[in-house]
Amino acid sequence: MAKKPAVQTALHKVIMVGSGGVGKSALTLQFMYDEFVENYEPTKADSYRKKVLLDGEDVQIDILDTAGQEDYAAIRDNYFRSGEGFLCIFSITEDESFQATQEFREQILRVKNDENIPFLLVGNKSDLQDKRKVTFQEASDRANKWGVPYVETSAKTREHVDKVFYDLMREIRARKMEENKTNNGRGKDKNKKKKLKCVIL
Amino acid sequence: MDHSKEPTLTLLASTEFQPEKYVKHLSQNYVGGSELQAIRKKIQALSEDTNNNLKKNVYQNYGQFIDTAKEISHLESEMYQLSHLLSEQKSLLNSLASTSLMGDNSNLTRNKERSEEKIIEEQKQKTQSILEKVEGCKDVLDIPGRTFLHEGDLLELDSLENKPIKPVHVYLFNDGFMITSRNSNSRGLMKYKFEVMYELGSLAVVNVRDLGDVKHAFKLLIFPETRIFQCSSNSNKKDWLDKFDQAKKNQLSQDVQRRESIIERSPSRTTIESGIHSTLSESEDDLVIITHPEWFLDLPEELDVGVAQRHFEEAITLLQKGKDYMSQLGLPNAKTDHVLIDIQRKLDMRQSSLTEVLMKELEINPDKSLQGGLRAARRAVRLLNQLGRSTQSCDLFLKLCSSMLKIQCKRVKREGSTSTYIRHLSSVVFTNMCHMTDEFLRAFPESSVCASAYIVWASSELSSFSAHFIKQVFVPQTSLATITECVFLVKTQCERLCNYGIDLCYQLDGALLTPLTKALTDTRDKLIDSVKVRALEDKWIPTNFHTKNGLSRCLNEHREMGLQLDSYVTGDIWLQLTQNTIAFTKVFLALLECCLRLKTTELLYTVDTVLYEIYGAQLKHYELTLKKDLQKEERQFIIKNTEFLLVTLYNLIQRKYTKSNGFECKTFAKVQIDYAALMKICLGNRNIKTKYSSEFL
Repeated sequence: MAKKPAVQTALHKVIMVGSGGVGKSALTLQFMYDEFVENYEPTKADSYRKKVLLDGEDVQIDILDTAGQEDYAAIRDNYFRSGEGFLCIFSITEDESFQATQEFREQILRVKNDENIPFLLVGNKSDLQDKRKVTFQEASDRANKWGVPYVETSAKTREHVDKVFYDLMREIRARKMEENKTNNGRGKDKNKKKKLKCVIL
Repeated sequence: MDHSKEPTLTLLASTEFQPEKYVKHLSQNYVGGSELQAIRKKIQALSEDTNNNLKKNVYQNYGQFIDTAKEISHLESEMYQLSHLLSEQKSLLNSLASTSLMGDNSNLTRNKERSEEKIIEEQKQKTQSILEKVEGCKDVLDIPGRTFLHEGDLLELDSLENKPIKPVHVYLFNDGFMITSRNSNSRGLMKYKFEVMYELGSLAVVNVRDLGDVKHAFKLLIFPETRIFQCSSNSNKKDWLDKFDQAKKNQLSQDVQRRESIIERSPSRTTIESGIHSTLSESEDDLVIITHPEWFLDLPEELDVGVAQRHFEEAITLLQKGKDYMSQLGLPNAKTDHVLIDIQRKLDMRQSSLTEVLMKELEINPDKSLQGGLRAARRAVRLLNQLGRSTQSCDLFLKLCSSMLKIQCKRVKREGSTSTYIRHLSSVVFTNMCHMTDEFLRAFPESSVCASAYIVWASSELSSFSAHFIKQVFVPQTSLATITECVFLVKTQCERLCNYGIDLCYQLDGALLTPLTKALTDTRDKLIDSVKVRALEDKWIPTNFHTKNGLSRCLNEHREMGLQLDSYVTGDIWLQLTQNTIAFTKVFLALLECCLRLKTTELLYTVDTVLYEIYGAQLKHYELTLKKDLQKEERQFIIKNTEFLLVTLYNLIQRKYTKSNGFECKTFAKVQIDYAALMKICLGNRNIKTKYSSEFL
């Protein structure tokens, strides 16, 4: 790959995290194939790759759809290590899944050892407003506390699906450019200034 | 006619036989057709014979050949049967292996246990075959507990561009994933070359969704790198993902199992599960799960059985074995392994119950007969010692000894004289004590704590014995002679213990000092009284023995005591000593005998005074008599008696005393000083005596 670095398209590694059944795979499949899968089958660990046009630039997105089930909790670390950005999904119809995001956040920060890792809090199933258990305010408060954006999506209606992936990719890209700068230049400024989220709802 | 030329089989068959030469020879020798024809006939007969033989041989060989063929086909069918059996066995094992992987053990558990070893064996063989195939993987495979799960050929892809890089051959183990590549520079056995071994715990497996030209692929996330492998088919990939998943899950479940308490499960069940898990399942943690051998897990039950059946030795051996095993495993495991902790707890319980049972064995129980004696206690004591409870066992052992001793003493009836009784009793007591010492030394060799306990025990036993002894022996009616004999007996018996290094004589002496002193003073008083009584009755006449025999008997008696009385003899039957003097001599020498036998350093003072005082009392009587107005002859006679006492007997006494003690008795010597006046008279008399004797003669 070192042969033609110019031609090399950027690869952004995104990891979907969240409790079981919140719609990680549904979001991924909607993003990848524009289709909504009704029947639910727990994921173990699936990887997808897609060429996308990000702000006029050809990039590849590598999505790692992880298992939400508790019994995989112990081996999540290995997955998280490889991620460059995280979509932390919960279902707005299930408070437990929202509470679980705290745990995921902590685990990611611990594994990546980086407070500013590209991260989006995503409340899925926004089409099921009548079954909503987690208020928008609640969720965005938590996102603010973490210093991350909060987006509500619906894998079914495709609402904000592309947005979350693209937003995350932008953050990852920005993050990489910043790192390149500090690496290339003499930016010994180690504690990178908190790059404010570039996208707001 | 040349006989050698007769056609025979030997001739024709010989190697030098040349037909042409032979025929030439024949035609030369035989003249006339008839002879030649006869020869020809003979040869023809020979040829027919040979033909027949040949046929027979062929037939025989053919028969053998057919037999062999039959045998071979037989063997073949047997081989088929064998291979069939083997394949059946194999499929059985495989099915067992898969059932046990499910972690479900119902009625199959027994078989599983049995097949466990075979599975291990298979694993070994597999490992061996991998070792033979893959170059440079020896260190990697040499890890105990690592078991092989799956292998296969894969194509590695570039993680960014999804372009093929190289074919690889990979192995999945219960705790790791090994990648090997084709070995290009060596053809032959070592087909592959070891590339890398990943810990299962450090890698994540990700299914790669088929997209474009990348199909049947999966990813390994091994931070920070990612490797993609392409399988030959979708089912192949599914296989791999399943195997990985299973390995991961097993590892997880093991972690959970390790964390979970297993108290509720019976140990035997735990046995099987943990056994199967550790052989078949995969652990990737730093901690290697240890398969406990079956015997170890069955240990608590075995111990119960052992105790119930009173197979204490076995139980203890088992216990020891279990402990050894646990100590071998060491501490780190002991803290994490629930099975181990559980068993350890159980073993502790069993040990204490075993100890209890054994202690009960040793306890003194009125219902229990002590018939077996200490020998019966040997076993329990030994076992308790093995359990490290020597202090308790020693305590119980000594208690047992005490009660046995008591019982033995009770059996000794007070019959006959005191000395007989004491002889019997002391013999019983000390013989028993010797036996007990023997047993004790056998049971508790080289244990200083126990040894001191024993000394204390022995001393207390001796005290109680001596108390009993004093009560029995030191009563007013017992004569000093009897006392002396009894004391002497006990002392001799007591010395027997010295052979074992236990000298209790000093203690015995100490216990007997007071009563002995009292006995001596009592005797002194008694003797002084009798001296006084005799003095009153003293008629001061020579002793008449009435017969010659009587005199010589008396002379002999005194000779035995060390006194030569020949010079005192007058006439046939007279002795120039009073009855009083003779009686006193006898009594006093007997007393001296006793005293010398009894004497101890502590008692010596009393002995000396007693001797002195009695002797003094007797001499006093002589002195008083001499002060009276006496006829010359009578005076001479008294002086003679006095001299006998003051010189002859005195010397004898001092001699005997010195012989026993090694020095003269100073207190007793005072006698001569006290009665110096008498001495003078006596010495003065000596000259007169010679005169007198000559006169007398």
